[in-house]
Amino acid sequence: MGKTMKVVASLALVATTATSVEAQQTYRSYDQLTDAIQSLVGGSDAASVESIGQSRDGRDVWLVTLAGEGELPAQDRPGIMVVGTLEGDHLIGGEIAVEAARWLLDQDGSNDEVTTLLAENVVYIVPRLNPDGAEAYFGDPAWGRRGNAWQEDDDNDARMGEDGPNDLNGDGVVTVMRVPDRSGDLIPHPDDSRLMKEADPVEGESGTHTLYWEGTDDDGDGFIAEDGPGGVDLNRNFQHEYPYWEPDAGRHMVSEPESRAIMDFMVDNRNIAAILTFGHTDNLVEAPNGQGRLASPRTISLMDWAAMSNDGVTDVGVFGGQTNFGNLQQRGAQLGRDNPPEQGRRPVTTYNGQDRPYFVTVSDAYREITGIEQTGYHRAPEGAFFEFGYFQYGVPSFSTQGWAMPESDGESFDQRLLAAVDSAGSDAFMDWQAYTHPTLGEVEIGGFHPYMAVNPPPERIPELGASHGEFIARLGGMLPNVRFVEATAEAIGGGLWKVDATVENAGYFPTALAHGQTSRGVDPTLVQIQVDPDAVVSGDAKSARTSRIDGSGATASYSWIIEGSAGQTIEITSLAQKGGRDSITVTLR
Amino acid sequence: MTNAHSRTGQRTTAPRMPLRTILGGATMLAVGLSVAITATPVAAQITTGSDPEHELIFSWDRWLDHDELNERMEIMADQWPEFLTLETIGQSYGGRDMKVMTINNPETGDELDKAAMFIEANVHGNEIQGGEVVIYTIWYLMENYDRIPEIRRLVDERVFYLIPSVNPDGRDWFMDETGSGARTGHVPVDSDGDGLFDEDGPNDLNGNGVIEQIRKYVPGAGDFVVDPDNPNSLRRVGPNERGDYILLGSEGLDDDGDGRVNEDPPGGYDPNRNYPSDWQPQYVQGGAMNYPFELPEPRAIEDFMVTKPNIAGSQSYHNTGGMILRGPGAAWYGDYPQSDVRVYNELGENGERMLPWYDYFVVWQGLYAVHGGQLDWANDGHGAVGFSNELWNGGQYYQSPLLREQQQDEDTPIGGGRSNYFFDDFLTFGRNYVEWAPFDHPQYGEVEMGGFRKLQGRVNPRFMSMELFHRNMAFTLYQADEMPLMSMGDAEVEQVSGNTFRVRVPIRNERLMPTILERARRYDVVEPDILTLEGADVLMAGWVDEHNFDGAVDRIDQAELDRILIRSGHPGRTTRYIEYLVQGSGNVTIEYSSQKGGTVSTTVGLN
Repeated sequence: MGKTMKVVASLALVATTATSVEAQQTYRSYDQLTDAIQSLVGGSDAASVESIGQSRDGRDVWLVTLAGEGELPAQDRPGIMVVGTLEGDHLIGGEIAVEAARWLLDQDGSNDEVTTLLAENVVYIVPRLNPDGAEAYFGDPAWGRRGNAWQEDDDNDARMGEDGPNDLNGDGVVTVMRVPDRSGDLIPHPDDSRLMKEADPVEGESGTHTLYWEGTDDDGDGFIAEDGPGGVDLNRNFQHEYPYWEPDAGRHMVSEPESRAIMDFMVDNRNIAAILTFGHTDNLVEAPNGQGRLASPRTISLMDWAAMSNDGVTDVGVFGGQTNFGNLQQRGAQLGRDNPPEQGRRPVTTYNGQDRPYFVTVSDAYREITGIEQTGYHRAPEGAFFEFGYFQYGVPSFSTQGWAMPESDGESFDQRLLAAVDSAGSDAFMDWQAYTHPTLGEVEIGGFHPYMAVNPPPERIPELGASHGEFIARLGGMLPNVRFVEATAEAIGGGLWKVDATVENAGYFPTALAHGQTSRGVDPTLVQIQVDPDAVVSGDAKSARTSRIDGSGATASYSWIIEGSAGQTIEITSLAQKGGRDSITVTLR
Repeated sequence: MTNAHSRTGQRTTAPRMPLRTILGGATMLAVGLSVAITATPVAAQITTGSDPEHELIFSWDRWLDHDELNERMEIMADQWPEFLTLETIGQSYGGRDMKVMTINNPETGDELDKAAMFIEANVHGNEIQGGEVVIYTIWYLMENYDRIPEIRRLVDERVFYLIPSVNPDGRDWFMDETGSGARTGHVPVDSDGDGLFDEDGPNDLNGNGVIEQIRKYVPGAGDFVVDPDNPNSLRRVGPNERGDYILLGSEGLDDDGDGRVNEDPPGGYDPNRNYPSDWQPQYVQGGAMNYPFELPEPRAIEDFMVTKPNIAGSQSYHNTGGMILRGPGAAWYGDYPQSDVRVYNELGENGERMLPWYDYFVVWQGLYAVHGGQLDWANDGHGAVGFSNELWNGGQYYQSPLLREQQQDEDTPIGGGRSNYFFDDFLTFGRNYVEWAPFDHPQYGEVEMGGFRKLQGRVNPRFMSMELFHRNMAFTLYQADEMPLMSMGDAEVEQVSGNTFRVRVPIRNERLMPTILERARRYDVVEPDILTLEGADVLMAGWVDEHNFDGAVDRIDQAELDRILIRSGHPGRTTRYIEYLVQGSGNVTIEYSSQKGGTVSTTVGLN
């Protein structure tokens, strides 16, 4: 169970033993969350739970399936995948996911959207993809771990994890140190001396400080906290725009067992028609823009500068200056042939213009339902799971922080964040405290709380769970839904019949987004007349494939001339990978 | 067999050396039968000649099933246990054991302290002959350890990891079945989007073990005519002509009744696109599956390779085309740094001299873009110099310039598209061709079926095997020989004053490859080399130019001078001198430890 922390009680990080299904008001440890999930699922016929894999430290990655009684079995229904806590410090995502599940089950039968969702769709929820990373929140000190339990030699010095952060001033939290340094690049911010700013020589400013992570140089290599417990940030471990060679991205894409677990589930359940993830990335509050790009990152400079103090750790020990990178154009066609063969297509990296309107609609619905109008902390999405979801899996795929800090002003993100913290009266900023460092002299320790800057107070969990439950139900109603509207058979003589059938997509999303088609992540809708192929004389093929049927009632029609006999009943089936299965019969008269 | 040195033509019954002969029991046309290899000591065979017989006699003109590959390795591991270790590293999707043979002489050092050459083959199931090259390589090194000093040196200095087939399911599908569609592995893939997996593959309709071509006689309405000089050969007619035949594709049926034939065969992906370097999704790189190492076979190999950071060289044998390939696989990936390219160039260009029909070039430049291939990952993820040979070049059928000319001349018996038929008729005695024969096809009616058998084309003719195996092995052994090899000369000590001494040590990498490729250095893929000094306090350390021994050193600015990190490694064919200024007494030991270059040390007394 979680340990007590030396921080103000309103953070409510003390473990509770509550097992009631009342809304929780703490962030939950692995054991507590497991209990909560088990009791949630145990109390409902529409919910089940399974483990889709183990983390590196052997914790289960739980997947909850919500599916009520309905016409189709769950695996044939259009589905939504919800994933939380890919980054270990984003505890709120997993809490919202569990509470949203609770809200949906509670509303089944009374809320029409929810009742329809649970009857016609399936919702898969992985609250905490990174249980090992999240558990660090309950450790001492709390240091904002994002990665999983993978051990990485971050500074590549043939020693593993020998120099991590340290809680020097015993406040139970790892923040940053600002150190007077004549060769530093930073000065205290003129508008608020709690913040820092880069010195601008043009303005006559000269740097006075350097920022470090709170800690000591445990291995004597001249760097502080350059090789800690580390781990892989799971939301940088996926295949789209994967950040090669970054130490927190893993040895290669989908290197981690947690990542493999969710990937294997996605591959085995291609009825998943939309994805919602919670994390440090957003395309919901701010939909992709007209160029198909997402908003620029907004990160916390105090932490970025501390991280920068360890830049160059892997440049130590490079001798010989052999850093020329061969340029084939310069060298001419010295190797191989003179005409390089066709290089094939390049991966798409911007949201397709035809798909963008759907993202805008969903973004509008999200902001209306949750009231979240402004993004907070968010970073570049390279390697994020939701980007794989759109750019490779080919479905509407969304990411959000899940909450918003109070509206505030400020030139930089740090200023806005600090203003929001001040106006909420929270303790998310730890005031600078003087400290005598063993090697750096008189320093100050303080800065943004690693968890409180990126998670709301836990009292907000129930309300965020409810609003996101409502959003999930709204999203479910938008999923493709392909059904037969009619089928007829007309005798044309000579033992031949003309059979016509029409399907309609009553959902909002098309059966395949434009990029779902480009990426071939989505199969065409397959309509088959269930007779011997030889009995099909003319018209559409026995197996007719339609690559896209728009939503909002768009139809697709099929026509076959078949050999048959009077009185024969013919079944016609449809299979839309993201829009469900259906069938209809006609009798040949 | 008559021994050439036997003057009387008689054979004695007393063999000069103990030997075991492995009899291959497969008949020429065995299809779909698995054959047990028996190891039978044959005392009454051969030899009184002066040219020593082998310890193990294998036939080299047979193509081996996956079981037989493993069996031969087991036989060799039993024969030479002092050098050979055979271990299972995992199973294919179909449950076949994947085994790696390690060659190491423990008397010359620990396995992980020596540079290792990783050799694999047959990632595409139909690209079989690399498997035999791997078996041949193990056999050749062991047979000649006592006979050829250079082979002994190679085995003593290096480690070899060999795996003859990294797609056992595909290989057996090729060998034991008709051979059609064997490139892929056998993880089920829904290739036609109907929710079913692998439900409609090719069918051997006439039961002869071959998936043949189908032609239909449609006089005056076809695209092809029969070659008047060769009834087996069809030629496409010109733009304004009509012929008598149409081609209807390969043997098959609509197994799932969806109106399409053979649209969802077993598997349906390319296992050599499932590696992480520049891995791309299917619309950019067909057959790449959903994520790198999704497939069990590449994953098993990777799990093995990450335990062997001493791997400095890699070879993956494919067919066909006669190539010595290096990465990168895609143009947008750039090229390797200049210093790495120089290493590749020397190896590749010499390789062309050992393999007369093979060209050395970069994959994306001369072949096509390959995203997510093993070759890129060997270089990028393991920091190894990686090559991939495409075995066998069609030009080797008619090798001389004169015959190559004749092939272009329609009026010669080997011109006008007839050369394959001529070769098969006269050199393989019709073994590789099935004559066109009538067949009543359930869908197409009266047709004819025929065509070349699976072993023609990409696989070399049997009688040309041993040369192909040997030349490719020789290139790979040459590459192995040029892996980094560190050595350290004697330390020189000079007293400066009191107990302060100057210690200078020459450190050398004898071979072409650096201990750390520049690309691996750039991305921190391998551990740095580490230079340690024990036994005294280090006041200062630096590299010294051998021409300037009494001057200033190129000072090393690191916090721990008794444990110096050398991230850029040690370049090939270079000697460097390290100079320490130490305080102490007694012995000091200087050690250079390199993951791919070995560990060397020297000890000297301070006095």
